[in-house]
Amino acid sequence: MSDRSAHRHPRSETLALYAAGGLDEARAVVVATHLTICDECRLEVRDWEALGGIALETVEPAPMSDNALTDFWARAEGAEPATLPASLRAANDFPLEAAQPLRRYLKNGLDGVPWKTVAPGLAQHILQAEGYRPGVLRLLKIAPGVKIPVHGHKDNEVTLILRGAYHDHLGVFQEGDFADLDEDDQHAPVAIGDEDCICLIATSAPLAFKSVVGKIVQPFIGL
Amino acid sequence: MIRAVVAVGPRTENVTPSTTPVPAPGPAGDELNALLARVATHGDKEAFGRLYAHFAPRVKGYLLRIGAQSEQAEDLAQETMLKVWRKAQLFDPSKASAATWIYTIARNIRIDALRRRAKDDLPAEEPMLTPEEEPQADAVMERRQRDARIRAAFGALPPNQYDVVRLHFIEDEPHSAIAERLDLPLGTVKSRLRLAFGRIRKELGELDV
Repeated sequence: MSDRSAHRHPRSETLALYAAGGLDEARAVVVATHLTICDECRLEVRDWEALGGIALETVEPAPMSDNALTDFWARAEGAEPATLPASLRAANDFPLEAAQPLRRYLKNGLDGVPWKTVAPGLAQHILQAEGYRPGVLRLLKIAPGVKIPVHGHKDNEVTLILRGAYHDHLGVFQEGDFADLDEDDQHAPVAIGDEDCICLIATSAPLAFKSVVGKIVQPFIGL
Repeated sequence: MIRAVVAVGPRTENVTPSTTPVPAPGPAGDELNALLARVATHGDKEAFGRLYAHFAPRVKGYLLRIGAQSEQAEDLAQETMLKVWRKAQLFDPSKASAATWIYTIARNIRIDALRRRAKDDLPAEEPMLTPEEEPQADAVMERRQRDARIRAAFGALPPNQYDVVRLHFIEDEPHSAIAERLDLPLGTVKSRLRLAFGRIRKELGELDV
């Protein structure tokens, strides 16, 4: 489990909230995309879902109306039989961007993203995943060597690395790695390696930049 | 039966007993799993009727609790049970118990209902409805044992952690709802959840001591 404590995966609290259906859509997409490639986290989600099933058993039953079962069979009458969908699970050699939960928002793939340059070496694209709870889902492309100013997070921020790598005080994050940052966490990631680092980021609140530079840059990059 | 398993966990004596409801009596977990298996293999309507009698009111209770209005809760509970009937063949006992599977279906149906209200959209994909391959008997057994350990670890939590964890899975906006319901600061809710989840993970052998 050493890998888990190395901050490359969602925290238990995040996975449990995902299992409870309590995440906003933006963060749920990032978590779900990570799950397509991480057996360990998928198993953990199953454990939290099991706890959800146990919690369901503690709910006080609310009686259905008298004719509910009759109504049910009337509705079920026209129901078509189950069909087996293709597996949603991405094979290991499958590009991360093609993972099902993300593909829904990224129809033309990562190479078809209409990037908007927000600062030298920094481009972003907002994905339409507002959903039913507030949250922002965005792609950020950071050129090698470019550093994002130090910032904190007013609430939880989750990031999945889709391509390339970045480095911050927690270490190196590369393709498939997940950063799960809370309000107490501040970081200043810098893209490393030869290729652009592309991150999928979900926030439920605007980032909180600490420095004057960050505060000046913020309105432009819209973070 | 269910309560008996929960009670296996050691409870310390100097803590006030939890006032939260315990699982209501009814068919036990294994029996519910067997009923669902009969629906899956034979389209057994009698077995389904018993599953319905057990789960439909609980799903409705969950939906009411999590914010649905009465009529909508009944409708979404029907939708949930309809999915259980139609997709029973996709139930994979190596991944989930019947209760867990139905919980995830109800959860997703509720999210889809909220999403439809927010904007027209496609239904979400449902990993719980997509078996990867034929489940292996030992994997099924492993899942059951793991569920039993989760249940025991949950039952053995100190009452103040037990309460926040229980509510976490059945409340809308869990963190703030729990804070409001139990009159606790948000930070306390989060730290209790963190402690409780860590404890359960440890019981499952997933964390180093």
